[in-house]
Amino acid sequence: MSEKLIEVNNVTYVYEPDEEGAPGYTALSNVSTHIDKGEFVAVLGHNGSGKSTLAKLLNAIYEPTEGTVSVKGIVADTEEKGDEVRRIVGMVFQNPDNQIVATIVEDDVAFGPENLGVEPSEIRRRVDEALKSVNMYEMREREPHRLSGGQKQRVAIAGVLAMQTECIVLDEPTAMLDPMGRSEVMKTVCRLNEELGITVVLITHFMEEAVLADRVIVMDNGRIIDEGTPAEIFSKADFLRSHGLDVPQSTELCRLVGIDGCVLSVGEAVEKIASLIGGAAG
Amino acid sequence: MSNAIEVKNLTYYYSEGTPNQVAAIKNVNLAIEKGTMVGIIGHTGSGKSTLISHFNGLLKPAEGNVFVDGEDIWQSKETLRGSRFKVGLCFQYPEYQLFEETVFADISFGPKNMKLSPEEVRERVLEAAEFTGLRKEMLDKSPFDLSGGEKRRAAIAGVMAMKPQTLVFDEPAAGLDPSGRKELIKLIQNYREKTGCTVVIVSHSMEDIARVAERVIVVNDGEIAADGTVDEVYSHSDELRKMGLNVPEITQIFSKLHDMGYDVPGNVYSVEKGAEIILNLIGRGCR
Repeated sequence: MSEKLIEVNNVTYVYEPDEEGAPGYTALSNVSTHIDKGEFVAVLGHNGSGKSTLAKLLNAIYEPTEGTVSVKGIVADTEEKGDEVRRIVGMVFQNPDNQIVATIVEDDVAFGPENLGVEPSEIRRRVDEALKSVNMYEMREREPHRLSGGQKQRVAIAGVLAMQTECIVLDEPTAMLDPMGRSEVMKTVCRLNEELGITVVLITHFMEEAVLADRVIVMDNGRIIDEGTPAEIFSKADFLRSHGLDVPQSTELCRLVGIDGCVLSVGEAVEKIASLIGGAAG
Repeated sequence: MSNAIEVKNLTYYYSEGTPNQVAAIKNVNLAIEKGTMVGIIGHTGSGKSTLISHFNGLLKPAEGNVFVDGEDIWQSKETLRGSRFKVGLCFQYPEYQLFEETVFADISFGPKNMKLSPEEVRERVLEAAEFTGLRKEMLDKSPFDLSGGEKRRAAIAGVMAMKPQTLVFDEPAAGLDPSGRKELIKLIQNYREKTGCTVVIVSHSMEDIARVAERVIVVNDGEIAADGTVDEVYSHSDELRKMGLNVPEITQIFSKLHDMGYDVPGNVYSVEKGAEIILNLIGRGCR
């Protein structure tokens, strides 16, 4: 049986009304799920469905109003335990410009371990290793503001890796990137998951990114409304659309021309359609 | 046909006059005809946003000229001010620029600056709100009580309320879910059909640009690398990839099938069109 890294049990999260009179609301209602060690989970849901709130609960930025989140058995009910959780689960946000603090790439990556009081020689080793795993080692002496969006996001990921976290939660990491930047970041995420066994939770609005996951969680109205493999989830096009989502173009094309099963990639679509046309011609 | 915007020999430098001076825009010539819908694509840092910031004088060219409606905008204070009302710029994540106490006040900021009468301002606010799908009761709320998608529409309504001849959007759908993205693009299309205004959309979404643009301009390294119809530009997928871009999945599928020798066109940009082609083909094959 696979080992559970994060367990979310009956979690409700309520945003309190603020002093300026903004009304409070319930962002998550009685959510239960778990993330296994080494798993790659994608979370889908329209804007306001509760995805980002869930993400912030996974690394103890938020504390549940009701229910519990435990990370390797640790429930972050004190500051110290919160720090412990954040050492296991790191987070990468949407805007690359908001999460870089230093003026040199390698200093930025060293920021996390320095704060943890790690030995300088060990920091050096971790920073080099982290930068190599996101393919940014060659650029370690560059100034972050001169990097592209995709490169900045990879530096942010390296910063999380240098803390030796076991799990990375990425909240729409490619929303502001150009097509190449998006593909660089997704390749990096997949590689970390496959080669280093890092557990990945990816929150995204891009269906073609969710296809790469082992499991997809679909959220609406603060609840988990479906969960399954990408093939299971993306075979339900009408269901997804009724919740503000969609399916990848490859999947939709194959569905419309009557190909059985759920096609998830360009390569697979080309193959299936070629045999469909070939079969018809012959 | 006359031009909504024309730039001639436009050059712009970052950190001008310092040792770090870099050319962000290099001798660009470009004319956008009135009433057209133009898409601008290019990787992050290619110069797209710097280019469009010249369209209503937010940036001043180091060299060259910018003409709006045939007038050089930098010839006088009046022409510069006029260009701000003729060309409405809607930046990326415009919801972060909402600042007034109510949504109504926020949308009316632009028209008020145009020194319109209070009745006229009100009329424009209501019209823009209706167009962007903001219900009347939302107008009295604080912008900060709206959802993300509503805030985005309120910010866009603020630009539409100025009734500019040209609307320029920088990544209008960034960060929206698939249905929010479709709705927003539809909203821009509807607005243009109704008003006949010129629209420029800067986007990283090759799918959205393929859906709406009559003309696509590719900016790379501060220069215009390609300029043509969707067909003309998207057929160079290898060059696009070298510039940090890509073509939609559906286009990749058809271009591969075409290259493999199947009897399908290589230039397909929508899933509906693609499905139609395949269904026709297998229908014909069976007969």
